[in-house]
Amino acid sequence: MTPDPSQRILELAAVLDLRAAAPLTESLLAMRGTALTIDASRVERIGGQCLQVLLSAQQTWSADETALSFTNLTPGFVEGLRLLGFSQADFTREEMPE
Amino acid sequence: MDAMAAVKQTFFQECEEQLAELETGLLAMERGEAESDTVNAVFRAVHSIKGGAGAFSLGDLVQFAHVFETTLDHVRNGALEPTADVMAVMLRAADLLADLVAAARDGHAVDSGRSEVLVAELTALSPGGADASAEEEDDMSDFSFTPVSVAFDFSDTPAVAGRSYTITFKPRPELYAKGNETALVLRELERLGQLETSCDASGLPQLAELDPEGAYLEWTMRLTTEKGEDAIREVFEFVEWDSSLTIQASDADGDADSGAGSTEDAFAALLRSIQADETSLPATTADIIPLPLAEEREAVAEIDAQPAKAVAARNGEGGANANAGAPQTIRADLERVDRLIDLVGELVINQAMLSQRVMEAGHVPGSAVALGLDELEHLTREIQDCVMAIRAQAVKSVFQRIPRLVREVAGMTGKQVRLITDGEGTEVDKTVIDRLNDPLTHMIRNAIDHGLEKPEVRVAAGKPAEGVVRLSAMHRSGRIVIEVADDGAGINRSRVKAIAAEKGLIAADAVLSDEEIDNLIFLPGFSTASEVSNISGRGVGMDVVKRSIQSLGGRLSITSRPGKGSTFTMSLPLTLAVLDGMVVTVADQTLVVPLTAIIETLQPKAADVHGLGGGARVIAIRDTFTPLIDVGRELGFRTTATDPLAAVAILVETEGGRRSALLVDTIQGQRQVVIKSLESNYRHVPGIAAATILGDGRVALIIDVDTVIANSQSDATILEPVLAAAG
Repeated sequence: MTPDPSQRILELAAVLDLRAAAPLTESLLAMRGTALTIDASRVERIGGQCLQVLLSAQQTWSADETALSFTNLTPGFVEGLRLLGFSQADFTREEMPE
Repeated sequence: MDAMAAVKQTFFQECEEQLAELETGLLAMERGEAESDTVNAVFRAVHSIKGGAGAFSLGDLVQFAHVFETTLDHVRNGALEPTADVMAVMLRAADLLADLVAAARDGHAVDSGRSEVLVAELTALSPGGADASAEEEDDMSDFSFTPVSVAFDFSDTPAVAGRSYTITFKPRPELYAKGNETALVLRELERLGQLETSCDASGLPQLAELDPEGAYLEWTMRLTTEKGEDAIREVFEFVEWDSSLTIQASDADGDADSGAGSTEDAFAALLRSIQADETSLPATTADIIPLPLAEEREAVAEIDAQPAKAVAARNGEGGANANAGAPQTIRADLERVDRLIDLVGELVINQAMLSQRVMEAGHVPGSAVALGLDELEHLTREIQDCVMAIRAQAVKSVFQRIPRLVREVAGMTGKQVRLITDGEGTEVDKTVIDRLNDPLTHMIRNAIDHGLEKPEVRVAAGKPAEGVVRLSAMHRSGRIVIEVADDGAGINRSRVKAIAAEKGLIAADAVLSDEEIDNLIFLPGFSTASEVSNISGRGVGMDVVKRSIQSLGGRLSITSRPGKGSTFTMSLPLTLAVLDGMVVTVADQTLVVPLTAIIETLQPKAADVHGLGGGARVIAIRDTFTPLIDVGRELGFRTTATDPLAAVAILVETEGGRRSALLVDTIQGQRQVVIKSLESNYRHVPGIAAATILGDGRVALIIDVDTVIANSQSDATILEPVLAAAG
């Protein structure tokens, strides 16, 4: 799966814990209004607050009617989502129309 | 002290108790007496410390406790055999845990290298070795993912059978701010059984309005587990107060948590509702609640503990605190108890005064008033005994620190030591307990460092390589006697004597008995170690030990047998609040002589009293001459010498067994008196230990027998050689 070159890409940090939430929010807000692919290839773990940020970003992009997709979901990322009550599908369905 | 500091103080007090439990349990395990209850108690102790430390964000402590707890869990599960090697690591881990608690309390740091070494040792013990536990260790500082198959490795719960619970969990921002993590909590929860998690994100704002460090999500879990609600609550114990949490059993068939569960639920629900009403309170206020709750839980578990085994089975590890018949305790402020003791002391004095007034008013013994007073006296004594019993504590609290000390000193000196303790349940007043630690520590150090020989020396002498230090406590004639005995080489008397002579403490040609030589080590400035070791020789000699014991109204003595070892014996009053004394009159003053020092009283005869010049006199008592001390002159009540023939001599004995006769005018009688400190009410008076108030309302001074004798002898050192010759 190769992202569309016109899209912007945000690479997530390896550790998405409390400390990562604020910078992640800032990065996302800076890219608001553009089609965005979030690259999770480095993610080792994700906690509740970064999950909130990503979920909120999904909502926001959806409200803006802009495309947002996730790519390269690592086992660590998927396991974190599973623990927090989400599945891989919750984060990949946006890709389907693309 | 603010509320938070008070809670923290309580936490550290509880830590002390938990550490004591831990040590006791580990030692029992080391002796091979580990029952499942013991292992559970040990696990729980570490777990409780971890829990409390988590609430106060004491990171180092939490991390180490977690690794320790994980290893203990393997022992509990039977995955790790508690061999001698394993227990050695565990004991050292307990020592470090105690240091970390102390460090957290006093705000200083603990050598992180030491912590790392022990963490490595503990993890190496875990089945699966360092790899399996590295993850465990890691997840406290941060969090990491574990493949699902591994997550269930240590879990002893079959995933399906059991009861279902619906749990709702909504973290507050404080939860994250304190370094806790929902993902971790959920993973722990998953270990209990089969978990279905759903997340409600409906409260989530758009990104622009989102506070990245806020908390908007709410989780609902359905957990099917064989464990009880206690086990579930335990998962949430670090985060419960920074979140909204409900736990509801979904089906009604289980009877697992009937009594304890519902009481606890009600209590927890009440607290939660209070907390929900006051969400605006600062986080610290919310933190105040968990500790009392934890106690409440234990109390409930204890009350509900019948039969203990059944409870243990229902509650899993919670069963450890469910020892049937365990005494219930309350925690009371010591100041309140002291105030009560003070008041009872006043009551005793007041009652004595009343008795005296009644007698003076002409009521004869046997009259209704006198009989009523007798009853009052009886009751007063009983109250006094009961109040004293409140302050009484088992010496266990002091003895418990000794095994660690022995390990450390043995390690430093390269000696092999086995500690045997006896009579840990012996009770003594708290003030005595509090001041017992330092002298005892020094005596134990001394016994290992100076008393025991090195293993090779012992083997050469035909002894086992491992030396024995025996620490025992017992009650003997109204006092507590604590003995520290070693099976070492005994006191090297010729060396002790040579050193004492070299230091000018005795004349080079002095003729001394074995006992006198042994007692030389108590002289100020005496130290037998040719080079000052960093164990015994910390600038504290046995003279300081002796003085501190004397200041408690105690005595310290030594017996030693060459090649067999030495025994230090300290004898202390059971309480510093009352004293049995002999009330005497000296120059119209009423004084009290502590009964423990008195051997006999006698009426001096003219033929027995001999003057030695300089006002010094001796009295012949049977075959020995004993210094006769005129108490009135010694304390400055009069300047002229008393006529011994018109007075009474009280034969007393000092620490070293040296006897003197105190000359007093008359003896009034023997009674128990309430000790009133002179230092705190007036100032220190040489020769006077304390004061008391008598029935007639007058203050009577309590004589410090040792000081009076020491002073009189420093006045007349010339006596010594004369007496030696005479004796």
